[in-house]
Amino acid sequence: MTGKILVIDDEDIVRRSCSRTLSPLGYEVRLTQSSLDGLRMIDEEKFDLVLTDIKMPDMDGIEVLKQVRDRFPEMKVIIMTGYQSVENALKSVQLGAFDYIEKPFSPDALISSVSKALGNRKDDQ
Amino acid sequence: MLFRHYLNSLSAKLFIAIGILMVFGSIVFGYFLFTHLEKTFLNNSINFGHSFSDLVNRSAHYGMLTAQGRIIQETIESIGSAEGVHNVRVFNSKGKITYSSNQEDIGTMVDQNSPICTSCHSVTEHPKDTPSSSISRIGQTRMLNIVKPIYNEPACYTADCHFHHEDQRVLGLIEADLSLAGLDTDIRNQGIAMALYVAGFLFVISISLFSILRRFVSRPVSLLTQGMEKVAGGDLDSRLKLYTQDEIGALAQAFNAMTYDLKKAKNELLDWGHDLEKKVQDEAEKIKEAHSQMIHSEKLASLGRMAAGVAHEINSPLTGIVTFGHLLREKFPSGSQELEDIDVIIEQANRCSAIIKGLLGFARASSAEKTSVNINDVMTSALNIVRNKADFFDIQFITDFADHLPLLTADASQLQQVFLNMIMNAADAMEKVGTMKMVTRSIHEQGKHLVEIEFSDTGPGIRDEDIPKLFEPFFTTKPVGKGTGLGLAVSHGIIQEHGGEILVKTQLGEGTSFFIRLPFN
Repeated sequence: MTGKILVIDDEDIVRRSCSRTLSPLGYEVRLTQSSLDGLRMIDEEKFDLVLTDIKMPDMDGIEVLKQVRDRFPEMKVIIMTGYQSVENALKSVQLGAFDYIEKPFSPDALISSVSKALGNRKDDQ
Repeated sequence: MLFRHYLNSLSAKLFIAIGILMVFGSIVFGYFLFTHLEKTFLNNSINFGHSFSDLVNRSAHYGMLTAQGRIIQETIESIGSAEGVHNVRVFNSKGKITYSSNQEDIGTMVDQNSPICTSCHSVTEHPKDTPSSSISRIGQTRMLNIVKPIYNEPACYTADCHFHHEDQRVLGLIEADLSLAGLDTDIRNQGIAMALYVAGFLFVISISLFSILRRFVSRPVSLLTQGMEKVAGGDLDSRLKLYTQDEIGALAQAFNAMTYDLKKAKNELLDWGHDLEKKVQDEAEKIKEAHSQMIHSEKLASLGRMAAGVAHEINSPLTGIVTFGHLLREKFPSGSQELEDIDVIIEQANRCSAIIKGLLGFARASSAEKTSVNINDVMTSALNIVRNKADFFDIQFITDFADHLPLLTADASQLQQVFLNMIMNAADAMEKVGTMKMVTRSIHEQGKHLVEIEFSDTGPGIRDEDIPKLFEPFFTTKPVGKGTGLGLAVSHGIIQEHGGEILVKTQLGEGTSFFIRLPFN
């Protein structure tokens, strides 16, 4: 499996979980705890997929999604939410998120969602 | 006692009053009648007495004119021996008894102060010379004393004897004592007869009066009293059976009408009382319900606020537990005890997450923000959310949304949560493989206009004994770690909050249909 993935989450355990789940499968995983930092990284290098939390101290995940969709329409975004709310899920899907996964997610759920996102990307090409 | 009771009765009073008046009237009437009768009898006797003395005068006339004293004496004696005649005497003008039915009296002088003389001489200076009468008593017998003057007339002073002078006006007196014994007997007999008639009359009248009063006063009044006592005792169904045309009959009818009205009024009052009691009870129950609902809502709201805060914080560490649990379990061969233990850890972490999700649902159920909502739009967006999720890729969705569905006043996000919950429950029931039908329609039931949303799955169905517990919090049929038992409870709360209801139709082995019914406004 190939693909470059950026994980934005203020919780260290979530970043580590994503990294430990996805890295062994061959994905290149980069981590950051700040959404602003994450957006800067996206500007600097190309990612295939962004996994972002919704509720973060500096900028919320919905805003990150908007900016990514604006600037890099081909980049997939999967929203991770610990604050399960239908509104946010609906909003994120409407704003063009590929999927949303609810915390706590299992490695299988994450892998399934990520592989679909990146698989689709490959089909598109 | 009974007699005394009777004396107090109206008819007894009337009877006694009328009786006294009648007895008094009879006595007065009898007295006057009797007196009048006595007077008439006496007058008749006096008239008779005068006729008698006249008869004596005329009988002795011839003897006097012919101056034959023997003939006069015999005539007087003969008359004096008649029944009822006590004695007959003739006086000359000097007061000497010249003839008498009692021969011993002849030649004696009458005392000038005796009533015979004074009746004429002492009254005025000029002696009265008219006939007079008086009543005296000899022993037990009353006597009528008649005194008749013998007037001078031409035959007297022209008679051959020349005994009387022409100038003399009164020649003498005829005096007769007539017994009134027969008259008195008659009067007494008349009196007794009259008293007997009156007594008989009074008796007959009394008996008649008594029965009339009894028939027309006592009995109706006693019936009236009994009836009134019954009504006073609370028997409002009793009626007075008095149908006379008089005042008592009218009173009875008026009383019956009053009793009827009283019963009607009492019934109305009772009904009203019952109604009021029921209304008060209903209101009290409503208030109680509203109060407990309020307390419930407040509890949910504070629980929700806390859950919302906790959820975000806890889900991240749970993600770690689940992820690293999975990573760890790959290090053990399948079937090993360690693998099973790790599965328990993962399972329990998922359960924690589900519980928090449920709590958040409760929190949202308590704070509705209602706007005008198109149910079809809410359904579509809910469907869009799940369609993109990998879990639903093997489920075939069939939708049949009614056109021109009326708009509802509702909280769209709450309804979406309910619909998502319905879809997820169906997916879980079908174990992610099957057909799910979603229909919206507008229906009329019991005069109410409702929107019905149907969710039908092809799952295994729900057991009868589980149906009543479906909406209870923490009731679940899902395997441990899968369900929290909060989904339907939250959904039920939200729908109730919107004034709607959730109905279930299920067939074991064929599937389950949930119907959500929401009213307009």
